[in-house]
Amino acid sequence: MKRIFINSAPSLGYRVIILILLSIFSWAGAIAQQQLTLHGTVTDQKNNPLLGVTVQVSGSQNGTITDASGGYQIRAATGDSLIFHSVGYATQIVRVGSSPVINVRLHAASRGLNEVVILGYGTQQKKDVTAAVTTVDVSKIKDISSANPTKLLIGQVPGAVISQTTGSPGREFNVIIRGLGSLGASSNPLYVVDGFPVGTSIGQNLNPDDIATITVLKDAVSTAIYGARGANGVILITTKKAEAGKTTLSVNAKYGIQNLPVSLRTKMMTGPEFAEFKKESFIDKSEFYHNVTPGINDIPIDYRYPDSTKYSTNWLNEILHNNAPYQNYNITFSSGKTDMHSLVSVGLINQDGSLIASNYRNYSVRANVEGKVNNFINVGLDLSGSYAELNWINGTEGRSDAVGIALLADPRAPVYNKDGSFNEYIGGHDGIFGWPNPVQNLLQVTKRTYLGDGLATGFIEVSFLRHFKFRSTANVHLNYNTYKQWVPSTIAHTNAPPPQVATENDNLNKTLDLDATQLLTYSNDFGAHHLDVLLGYDAQEENVSGLYANGSEYPNDLTPFLSSAAVVTAGSSAGGWSDIAYFTRVNYSFKDRYLFSGTFRREGSSRFGSNNRYGDFPAVSAGWRMSEEKFMSKINWLSELKLRASWGETGNNNIGNYSSLAFLNPSNYVLGGNFINGFVVGSFPNSKLGWEKSNQIDGGIDLGAFGNKLTFTADYYKRITTSMLLSISIPAISGFTSSLGNVGKVQNQGFEFALGYKTNINELELWANGTFSVNRNKVLALNGPTKAIWNGSLYADYNVSKVGRPIGMIYGFRTLGIFQNMDQIAKSPKQDGAIPGSFIYYDANHDGVVEYDQTDMVEIGNPWPKFTWGATFGGNYKNFDLTILLSGRQGYDNFMQIQSSTVNQDGVFNVLEDDKYRWRSEQNPGKNYWPTTNYWKWERESNSRYVHDASHMWVKDITLGYSLPQGKLPFNLRIYLTGDNVFLFTHYPGSNPDVNNNGGINPGLDDEAYPVPRTFAIGANLTF
Amino acid sequence: MKNIRYLFIGIPIIIILSAQVSCNKEFLNKTDPTRLGVNTFYQNQTEVDQALVGIYGQLRAIITNQWRFNELTSDNTTIDFNPSDRGQASDIEQFEYWQYTSSNPSINTMYDQYYNTLYNINLTLSKLPSANISDSAKNVVKGQLEFLRAYYYYNLTMYFGDVILITQPLNDPSQAWNFERKPQDSIFVQVQSDLKDAASSLPVRYNAANVGRITKGAALSLLGKVYLTMKDYADAVSTLRQVLNLGYALLPSYAAVFDPANKNSVESVFEVQFQGGNTLGIASNFIYTFAPRLSGALATGFPQATPGGWNIPTKNMIAAYEHGDLRKAASIGLDFVSPVTGEVVPYIKKYDHPSSIFGQSNDDWPVIRYSDVLLMLSEAINELNGPTDEAYTYLNQVRNRAGLNSLSGLNQSSFRDTVYHERRVELAFENDRWFFLKRTMSPDQLTSFLNAYGAEEKSDPTTSRQGVAYATSDYVFAPYKVVFPIPGNEIITNSKLKQNTGY
Repeated sequence: MKRIFINSAPSLGYRVIILILLSIFSWAGAIAQQQLTLHGTVTDQKNNPLLGVTVQVSGSQNGTITDASGGYQIRAATGDSLIFHSVGYATQIVRVGSSPVINVRLHAASRGLNEVVILGYGTQQKKDVTAAVTTVDVSKIKDISSANPTKLLIGQVPGAVISQTTGSPGREFNVIIRGLGSLGASSNPLYVVDGFPVGTSIGQNLNPDDIATITVLKDAVSTAIYGARGANGVILITTKKAEAGKTTLSVNAKYGIQNLPVSLRTKMMTGPEFAEFKKESFIDKSEFYHNVTPGINDIPIDYRYPDSTKYSTNWLNEILHNNAPYQNYNITFSSGKTDMHSLVSVGLINQDGSLIASNYRNYSVRANVEGKVNNFINVGLDLSGSYAELNWINGTEGRSDAVGIALLADPRAPVYNKDGSFNEYIGGHDGIFGWPNPVQNLLQVTKRTYLGDGLATGFIEVSFLRHFKFRSTANVHLNYNTYKQWVPSTIAHTNAPPPQVATENDNLNKTLDLDATQLLTYSNDFGAHHLDVLLGYDAQEENVSGLYANGSEYPNDLTPFLSSAAVVTAGSSAGGWSDIAYFTRVNYSFKDRYLFSGTFRREGSSRFGSNNRYGDFPAVSAGWRMSEEKFMSKINWLSELKLRASWGETGNNNIGNYSSLAFLNPSNYVLGGNFINGFVVGSFPNSKLGWEKSNQIDGGIDLGAFGNKLTFTADYYKRITTSMLLSISIPAISGFTSSLGNVGKVQNQGFEFALGYKTNINELELWANGTFSVNRNKVLALNGPTKAIWNGSLYADYNVSKVGRPIGMIYGFRTLGIFQNMDQIAKSPKQDGAIPGSFIYYDANHDGVVEYDQTDMVEIGNPWPKFTWGATFGGNYKNFDLTILLSGRQGYDNFMQIQSSTVNQDGVFNVLEDDKYRWRSEQNPGKNYWPTTNYWKWERESNSRYVHDASHMWVKDITLGYSLPQGKLPFNLRIYLTGDNVFLFTHYPGSNPDVNNNGGINPGLDDEAYPVPRTFAIGANLTF
Repeated sequence: MKNIRYLFIGIPIIIILSAQVSCNKEFLNKTDPTRLGVNTFYQNQTEVDQALVGIYGQLRAIITNQWRFNELTSDNTTIDFNPSDRGQASDIEQFEYWQYTSSNPSINTMYDQYYNTLYNINLTLSKLPSANISDSAKNVVKGQLEFLRAYYYYNLTMYFGDVILITQPLNDPSQAWNFERKPQDSIFVQVQSDLKDAASSLPVRYNAANVGRITKGAALSLLGKVYLTMKDYADAVSTLRQVLNLGYALLPSYAAVFDPANKNSVESVFEVQFQGGNTLGIASNFIYTFAPRLSGALATGFPQATPGGWNIPTKNMIAAYEHGDLRKAASIGLDFVSPVTGEVVPYIKKYDHPSSIFGQSNDDWPVIRYSDVLLMLSEAINELNGPTDEAYTYLNQVRNRAGLNSLSGLNQSSFRDTVYHERRVELAFENDRWFFLKRTMSPDQLTSFLNAYGAEEKSDPTTSRQGVAYATSDYVFAPYKVVFPIPGNEIITNSKLKQNTGY
């Protein structure tokens, strides 16, 4: 049964948006027909006149060609469309309005193989690229309702898995490129903004509207230039720059509403249903243990008469913010007409979350300025600053947090008391867990983050001796992060009614990151030979310092400041890392056909042991543009065919600072009645700690056909990570239970395919891009005596990384069904304490006993998809444009840890509606799916009942736009409607198959996270 | 326009200059500015003493959870049954019902804590010879460390039987796979040698600023207990007699022994130090763990308290006190009636004293008291020579202080039973019971003893079950359960490690 989530009724706001759009369309269509003699000039992007451009009236034989000054003249009627076409440029269609002048600027054909690709420390013509890189065409997906740049990657990059693990606004998506490369260190890619390596997180400060292009570097020859941080792929983000010869002012505005579709809301029991559940389990227990059917008066009054239950609260619905507004405004002024090019932008994102009280607000400004001092010196400066405020964005995951307690809280309690005050304590009687009121919790608890961020990049570039350039760049990143959490006395604790001691947590963190890069480049042609050489030096240092304080014992809830707290504890922290690298790259091509590239980086990092501080990272690649060969010239349809291969080594130093050193931790005591300071050792020192290295080969093919209407790229890769930086379990008798070392070996191999197609059928322009990727991950070795790495616990899931198997496979008991009677239990392998109605677990080692520990646990789920795909397609017809973005993942499992709570048969929590069909007796086994309420053992352990196939397809985005006819008005205006997370097709019973509460090597855990809403928005782009 | 141009040249240059980070070797040498490195520590008196204090500090966490293993397992205490939270059964309740398995988190944590503090002890001992301090000072530090090492290994072998013995710090984690479990006998040999060494190098008492440190008396008393455990009564007697001359005495009032006002009193041989009334992280919280779940302010003094309801004195324990025994009221509170069940939920009163800050109690934990020494001595003499006058003297000293009459005229066997009974009530809830039962009974005897107690508890539970039935596997003891399972994680990590039979 496929679930299609379309059934949440369109709200009023939605209808209003449609109405507005319809009225705009009818206004545009009302312009009368009229024959005109049209004339104008056709230019290229740099305003140079274009000769020989075909100008044709759509649907007629009427056509002409532009002259040397780009001019043309043609007769057409109002409402006709003019088609401007020229080889090497994107065809443009312009609707004839009432003005006789139509000036057109043609853009160089994009997505062909001629475009320039941004690479680490430089650029290269796409035709010359011999690396596996993907450029994300941001212009195609710019209307997506994104508050974070990572969202723009969805479905666009073969080989990358992008997951929206939580719906909390503004949050970064989880990005993994070409599989999990490490068992111990982080596997997140490196983000580089305008040449500045900012780290393995892009954070919440960069406004997606400022982004011009995103390039994803995947193979070793492209990433090795980032050496120590390149092993998990590199994401290069380039912000918008002023276009030469053009001055524009553009305004983008978008307003939308967000709702959690009803079908994505976990269905729990209603008040009467839960009372019935409690009553039935009371009866079942009595019958099972005492052989007595209790009389009505023996049943506790709390649930004796389920039908007369007074209240029935759907707590999840209560905490949802329906029609939560989403607003995004951006103004960009771009001036490129003089020697000084500048672009200034101001942006505001204001997004309420789909949970009440949660919101995200980001104010950003940017100034990108570049100019010529004289004909050999260029200077530039990119400055950006942002300020963000977030409430209830973090700390919403897990069973005991905002969403979890809304599922588990007693539905028979009202939200408000009769006097309108909050019902402050939900449950806490008759054996039911006591929780804070989920609504009150969100409204009265503050979890507020303030982010101040400034990024500055300055460069000076000197050209000399014709072929040389020297570029010196300095980057500064300053980030202030303040967090304040306030829990007033009115908020209950788990099983503890209010008043509680009010508490406050304050955190202030400052990060200062300095980076200096010196680049010397040489570029020259020698006949058919072309040579590019790059020499570089980079030094980077990051220092983080923090201040944190906790307060408690407040006189009241009105002054939530530390100064009011009777008890305050505070502390400060500091730390940092530094990095030095020397690198070089040589690109050589012969006859534009035979391409070679080599890079080398030597890098030192403060994070490693004094004996192993430096690492060397070489890479080479070669390419052959077969389509340039004479023997290929007869194949007319083939416009481009390139074979390429690369090999290289990259590193990973995401192990945290100071891991190679052992430190003392405080451990204090009392002597002579006085507090005395003492210290104990915190960990083993490891001065041999060195680089984790990845060795990657890549083979690829780039193909263009029919004048690059069809493009195809395929890659095969194999990456082996050795000397993994891994925290391994060591015998506790050593004094410690884990130690970091360079052990183990992991392999990722896979295929990636990208297909692009575009065509014009008269006025209809259609295009489609698809990505498809397969990655297989395998642990090849875990050096030392460890045979497997276990993470987890009996009541959660276990992620086990075993030699020969993928990282982090889901382990637990395999559920074979439900015991029906004592006889069956007696005949089965011994399960100590099992009763009829308990799960039957698989006796994996066939010793006749199912042990109550890990002994009989087996692989019960695979958190890694068999394949991942994305598709973006769209079209333009007259003034309309449409984009649809799909993304999906197939063949992987999640462990729904939350079900061990939402189907906890103890009767301490509310349970899933489906639990009505639990096993009650042999005669009344329900669906034979959920276990008995008579006992807790053999029910809630990590077991396969909680493992679910999470394969899914999201219709991530649908955008329909309409551009007002050009030429009539002194501006260009496009209006569009966009829907985000529109449909989800899946069998997965949870609300978000992308969820991943732990991440890293503990993948696939669903312990309930912030729900992902569906957004509908209307937007407008206005350009002068 | 020209001026603006200069501005844009100027700014990048300034940034370039300010961001140019120097290139020298020091640039990559980073150490945590907020913490002390291990490599350079243990050089002088201050540093060695801080290392020793740190090791003392680890006692607090270990002693805080010790009741789970030493009292809850026994017939002394049970739980304030909580029908709402059956999940706890996986951890703490497993000790009450004898269902502990190799995945029990408490056992796991305890095992890790023991070997972590042993690493610190061994490391400090190994650094001691090269430290720049006087030989006599070294000796006193060494004695304290040896006592603690002995105390931990004694406990470990009592919990697990054969255990891994490490007396040197490992330099490299990979060495940890080379160790195998050593027979209990050889553990006792190490324990005795450490304690003898400690007894010879430790002072009888310290100056006021150092009260609370381990003394000669503590080393001799523990050594006596080890001999008693090994049934080496002659050595037990000679060792424990040495304690008599060290100036210890019983306080006139039993209740006063546990009063924080009398910390480290003349009766205290060794107690773990805590301090309440502040938030320095050195307070205890026993009453918050031991008070009945719904008792709120009654025992703790703070209405917001949600006590654990653990370690609840059993009906069997309450009945063990003789009529007129002053220790009953000092040890057990019977003044709390559950609002849900209407029944009295008893609780331990020894560690219930007012504290000024919520959650930060001021109660110390008694490890060895002089009355323990007297009872051990009395027990050992009786085993060696029968109920001599001397044996009676020590037994009656303890009884008289409790308001009970002197005894006489018992034969060896009934004297033995009397001393055993006296131990139970005198040392109730001081984590003596489990080891006492183990050292005085064979596994089979202990099995029938505990199963009888379990049947009693099942038929007449100390705290109401509120309609929840016992599981068939509750209170089923078997001989193999006299030792705890080695933590499952350890077996997974080191497959050569042998699990105790039965687990």
